[in-house]
Amino acid sequence: MSVVLRSAIGRLKFGRDQSELALLYVACLIGALLVSMLLIEVNGSSWTRALNALVDGAFQNSGRWGETLRRTAPLLIVAVGSVVATKAGIINIGQEGQLLVGAMGGAFILTLVQSGNPLMLVLGITLGAAAGALWAGLAGTLWYWRRIPIVLSTLLLVYLASQMAAFTLTRGELLLNVVPGEPNRLLQSAAVASGSRLGIIEVFGNQFPLSVPFALAMALGFGWLLSRTTWGFRLKILGLNPRTAQRAGVSDVRYGMSAILVSGATAGMAGAMMLAGGESQYKFSSGFSSSVGWDGLLVALVARNSPLLAVPVAVVFAALRSGSTFLSVAGIEAVLVDVVRALLVVALFIPPAISDLRRKRRALTSLTERT
Amino acid sequence: MVGGGAQASSPAVSLKSITKSYGTLRACDDVSMVFEAGRIHGILGQNGAGKSTLMKILIGLVTPESGEIHIAGERVQVTSPQQAAELGIGMVHQHFSLVDALTVWENVVLGDRSSRLDADRARALVAEIGGRYGLGIDPDARVSSLTAGQRQRVEIVKCLRRNPRVLIFDEPTSVLTMEESEQLFAVLRHVVRDEGGTVALVSHRLEEVLKATDDVVIMRDGRVVAEMPTSGTSPDKLARAMVGRDVRLRTSDAHHMRSGAESGGNVALRLAGVTVMSRRGGTELDGLSLTVRAGEIVGVAGAEGNGQRVLADVLSSLRKVTSGTVEVGGAAVKTGSAGAMAAAGIGVVPEDRHDSGCVLDMTVAENLALTSLDRVSSRGALDIPAMRESAEQLIAQFDVSCPSPDVPMWTLSGGNQQRVVLARELSLRPKVLVAAQPTRGLDVSAIEYMGDRLREAANDGVGVLLISSELDEILHLADRIIVMFKGAIVGELPNEAVDMAHLGMLIGGAA
Repeated sequence: MSVVLRSAIGRLKFGRDQSELALLYVACLIGALLVSMLLIEVNGSSWTRALNALVDGAFQNSGRWGETLRRTAPLLIVAVGSVVATKAGIINIGQEGQLLVGAMGGAFILTLVQSGNPLMLVLGITLGAAAGALWAGLAGTLWYWRRIPIVLSTLLLVYLASQMAAFTLTRGELLLNVVPGEPNRLLQSAAVASGSRLGIIEVFGNQFPLSVPFALAMALGFGWLLSRTTWGFRLKILGLNPRTAQRAGVSDVRYGMSAILVSGATAGMAGAMMLAGGESQYKFSSGFSSSVGWDGLLVALVARNSPLLAVPVAVVFAALRSGSTFLSVAGIEAVLVDVVRALLVVALFIPPAISDLRRKRRALTSLTERT
Repeated sequence: MVGGGAQASSPAVSLKSITKSYGTLRACDDVSMVFEAGRIHGILGQNGAGKSTLMKILIGLVTPESGEIHIAGERVQVTSPQQAAELGIGMVHQHFSLVDALTVWENVVLGDRSSRLDADRARALVAEIGGRYGLGIDPDARVSSLTAGQRQRVEIVKCLRRNPRVLIFDEPTSVLTMEESEQLFAVLRHVVRDEGGTVALVSHRLEEVLKATDDVVIMRDGRVVAEMPTSGTSPDKLARAMVGRDVRLRTSDAHHMRSGAESGGNVALRLAGVTVMSRRGGTELDGLSLTVRAGEIVGVAGAEGNGQRVLADVLSSLRKVTSGTVEVGGAAVKTGSAGAMAAAGIGVVPEDRHDSGCVLDMTVAENLALTSLDRVSSRGALDIPAMRESAEQLIAQFDVSCPSPDVPMWTLSGGNQQRVVLARELSLRPKVLVAAQPTRGLDVSAIEYMGDRLREAANDGVGVLLISSELDEILHLADRIIVMFKGAIVGELPNEAVDMAHLGMLIGGAA
């Protein structure tokens, strides 16, 4: 009927959808927690004990929230980069490899150059970012040059990255730290030179490296870049409608590539910062990335591609990580945390999936509704 | 198609006092209608008149609040399309529900629940129905390779294989060429005359109803406002009943509205020898040359699928030419390079606005700024208040109906989305405006609005290239008509004293 009425209905539906969505989130989270409790009980532990152990490990005990924050930083940096790629419609799922390559690149400066010059820290992190960008850029090049799906190439490059990292730890002339007279080689690098380590902030007995405020600044900065600059605006057009983007002057190669490079660089930077921030005693090893890349990707997905929302989500994910170390102390299998996390992720995906489905259906009916 | 026949005592379908509301909106208000076997019934009305709702009630997609449905004299409750199919009612929807990646026969048997897939039988079925009704179609063709008209044939075959006694068509010709429409009408004739079936044809096109139907019911605002045998009516009469006021019909009185820019304007757009090859090596545009002068409307006529879409894509920077040049205002423009055509001054109202005209998930304000980011930003930073302000201006200027510039584009109706696209393209003061099928799917008043805007743009000195498969639209608006056939221009005629027979020959590729 009248157009006014139709758009009024449109707005009403829109508002109602938002509150319905919030309700759905709450319901799904409660559901996930209930299932988690049930699983813990079935495993013969008590969920209250598990929860206490988690909270103790993540926040309560002395120095623990500093540990949680330390673990938050790389998750958040990786997540922010993933958001950038996703905004441009590019599905980069190789952050784990990009992070590892970044840490490896960083290690070449940070662990090998023993000088007190803080410039080495900047150089190491820059090299890490460049290495991560290169790793993601490979996938991007394959896509724009030969149309090889980015999902596949980024994923497979993760395995190549870990093989490459392992290789650098087999030779003394590369990253391996050869301790003379010791037969059992630990296959790890030397520790980061003391002058090249990230500064440590101490608040109320909680210590965390400078990468934490840096990550926060990244989240805020990219939040601004994506929503308030022409670059972010163009990425959004490209991600939502590539043909409209092409017509409006957004070159997919240029902007798509920029998004891939940024997401690779952030993952690489996160890796280098982990190393300079004290992860595994400042030593690089082939398992160094320890799934931070995968988790960072999940943080971005759960945060629905909002860099700002990624902040609390990254804290929750980091808390689960730091809290899980206390579970085994309490006699509960630490692997339960992985299950709980997976349940939470699934629960957080359900509401947006439902609202997307509904929207699509509505778009369909509105197409057929018109006489 | 068994039994039936016009001599049966009770009508094939009888709808009695059907009422259906959506909120405060009465989509169908006490609607009664009778469909006889052996006749084609036209249901005419503007967008939102309640035609589609009524048909959805008949096939069980929508449940009415009150009213009765009688099929062959028996009262029934239709609760689902499956049940409607069992009752012998089938519908061919306006929007196709075909799977592009599958072949024709696969699509036809897609909904079957039988455990085994018998390809040969399915192929034979498609061929048999095709032969019986004159719906020739290759069972092994992939749907993605078919034209709109052929896709519709697949939909019709899907429907006919269930031997319906009542066939409902919702705006069937909106995607068809003139020739395809004629063929469709022949099929409908066959269904009612030789098979004793009943056809309900939902439409907002006058000529279509006049040409194809036996009886016509006119709906307005959810009510039946007139009923008459088609033979005893005229376009004027139908149009008046449909809109409830006198409309300016597309007639040759448009000619005197034209500005004096007959051929004196500068060349705004020139295509010379433009050839586009498809990836598979087919020729999509074949040495196409045309010029559009400032201030004139050039109509590109032709049956759909003769390269019009590719032409629009080239002018939208979406396709690269294999050879030939595109010049805007005398300067060559690089083809296929993102945004080059827009930057050179070509505005486009695309055939499918969702495809390359707007971004549904962005706000109206953002959509209005898509191609003019420089105006609402400084040194790479967006100026959100400026974006909003310019959006508000355009919304007022183009009379877009939306609650605020900040609502997502998808909340707007199709007509308003179209206005947003038009507003954006004209706000850039283009040298050339390409309008591809600009009125497809719009109702009478929206069509009128679009025509006025195009004419206004031409009067302001814009060279307008109107690509349309609706000949009426072109005859009504264009100063010059060029005809496309198989990717080339096969003829050009001024829009004065058009020799319709000659034009028809050109479109058919016979001249």
